Amino acid sequence: MSLQDRPIFQHLWAYAILAVLIVFVLFPLVFTFSQSLMTNQEVNRWPPPLVPREATLANYQQLFTQPDLKLDIWLRNSLFAAAAYTTAVILICSPAAYAFARLRFPGNNLLFGLLLVTIMIPSQVTLIPNFLLMRDLKFLDTFHALIWPGAANVFGVFLLRQFFQQIPAELEEAAILDGASYWGRFWHVILPLSTNALTALGIFVFLGHYNDLLWPFITTSSLEMRTLPVGLQVLNSSYAGQYRPLVLSGAVFATVPIVLVYIIFQRRIIKGVTLTGMGGR
Amino acid sequence: MSNTTGTIPTSRVTGQATSRFQLRMRTREALAAYLFLTPFFAFFLIFVVRAVVQAVSMSLYDWQILRPGQVYVGLGNYQELMNDYVWWISVKNTLVFMLITVTGTTVVALAAAVAVTQPIKGQGFFRVVLYMPTLLSVGVVSLIWVWLLSSQYGIINYFLSFVGIRPVNWLGDESLVIPALSLTTIWWGFGFPMLIFIAGIQGIPDTLYEAARIDGANSRQLFWYITLPLLRPTLLFVTVTGVISHFQVFGQPFIMTVGGPGRGSYTVIYYLYEIAWRAFRMGYGSAVAVSLAVIVASFTAIQFRLIGRRVEY
Repeated sequence: MSLQDRPIFQHLWAYAILAVLIVFVLFPLVFTFSQSLMTNQEVNRWPPPLVPREATLANYQQLFTQPDLKLDIWLRNSLFAAAAYTTAVILICSPAAYAFARLRFPGNNLLFGLLLVTIMIPSQVTLIPNFLLMRDLKFLDTFHALIWPGAANVFGVFLLRQFFQQIPAELEEAAILDGASYWGRFWHVILPLSTNALTALGIFVFLGHYNDLLWPFITTSSLEMRTLPVGLQVLNSSYAGQYRPLVLSGAVFATVPIVLVYIIFQRRIIKGVTLTGMGGR
Repeated sequence: MSNTTGTIPTSRVTGQATSRFQLRMRTREALAAYLFLTPFFAFFLIFVVRAVVQAVSMSLYDWQILRPGQVYVGLGNYQELMNDYVWWISVKNTLVFMLITVTGTTVVALAAAVAVTQPIKGQGFFRVVLYMPTLLSVGVVSLIWVWLLSSQYGIINYFLSFVGIRPVNWLGDESLVIPALSLTTIWWGFGFPMLIFIAGIQGIPDTLYEAARIDGANSRQLFWYITLPLLRPTLLFVTVTGVISHFQVFGQPFIMTVGGPGRGSYTVIYYLYEIAWRAFRMGYGSAVAVSLAVIVASFTAIQFRLIGRRVEY
């Protein structure tokens, strides 16, 4: 066996690509974490130090004592709003998807066509009208504004409809013989068989909401109602100039929960993302 | 129904009863369907259909939030937009950003996917780590990269100094700021298309590769003549979703550069935000939003025609 034929050498190019990409991905994260443990003086130095001379948690302490920063509340707001929004999307979209996938009714094609048309329209078109509606309903600066406007998620209906259609009809027929109602068939037969699709949609919708910046920025105003992405913008605009490591520690603080969740559920998340991606084609 | 009970052959009377029974079942089914659809369509009508209609109608008014009565101006807002140089700067910046980001993301994601699907060790590890940045929020990503790209203390400039490149003012130079934001976005976003490509590659039958290998094809030929042609539908999906999502870029310029330097990183959504929530011109802002929708929709249509036709081979 020559050197060239050994598997490790045969795929050397693959390892090379992956090594470069791993450094590309990890270096900014590790560097940010490392510099978040430095003093203000040490960070503003040339060449940029990679490892703190003396690691300090002072920046993290500052993060929670500055009166204009409320990272714990922002994180809580983000998690709560995203969770409530995800629940709303699943409860509202899954019955609609079941009707489109399994039930015969006049106007089926017409209504589904309407959804198809709107998926081409970028959501920013609805930004101004929905903002004005929130204002008129006195929903500005409340969780209502963060939860309801996006609850009719067209993509969610598409994905679930496609998944429901693949479930064999025989499984539902058993329930029909038992005299189950339409709701019973949906709730006790179809939904339990769709946990994969529901989790996938849930992850997708949750992350999308958790990452949103513009909508929470315009609909919230008080320090106590900001979400994490909005709060990080506040942190950056007030401290980037004179206190960089504080900004970096804020970035790390916002990263840790999501990375922890990711490490625990990575298999499910990756499978889910692939499923939603394929569902979107 | 009468067959399953196994009694007398169907007479005219029972036939009518059966069809009436079926009709009733049909009605019940339709009724159930409408009930299932009601919650969704209630939200859909209020927050999507009404909003889109209102956006179009508002774009015909000089609609200012701090004024009680609104003035009808017909297509005046659109005429103003056509002559608004900031709008055209924003469109140009957004197009350049989108082109660089979609190209970069697709190339990096494809390279990662092809490498990760080789029979190598640590596949799972590579996939998990490479997807990680995609989970971060735009706030975190912006805070990290604004510092990496800093002109004074930035680590990127430090690395470039090794190859003799003098400090570059990435975010302060009008001609570099968009590529810098693109680089940030490629780092952030290539994980999703990577997973889609991985799924696409795994869907290609192994027999094709085996046959080509028997014919003496090497890795590069396998990629150009099997993987890439068969990935065309996936490529279409990745580029279409990429074009649509990157055309809507907002957070990176908003946090990292505040649209600057000058108007060097104004994007369409950033300009929309500024018109509607800084200048409070909601009518003009609606015209921007509607124009954005027209641009995005035509992009999607063009792309589907271009690549879609070649998908059938």
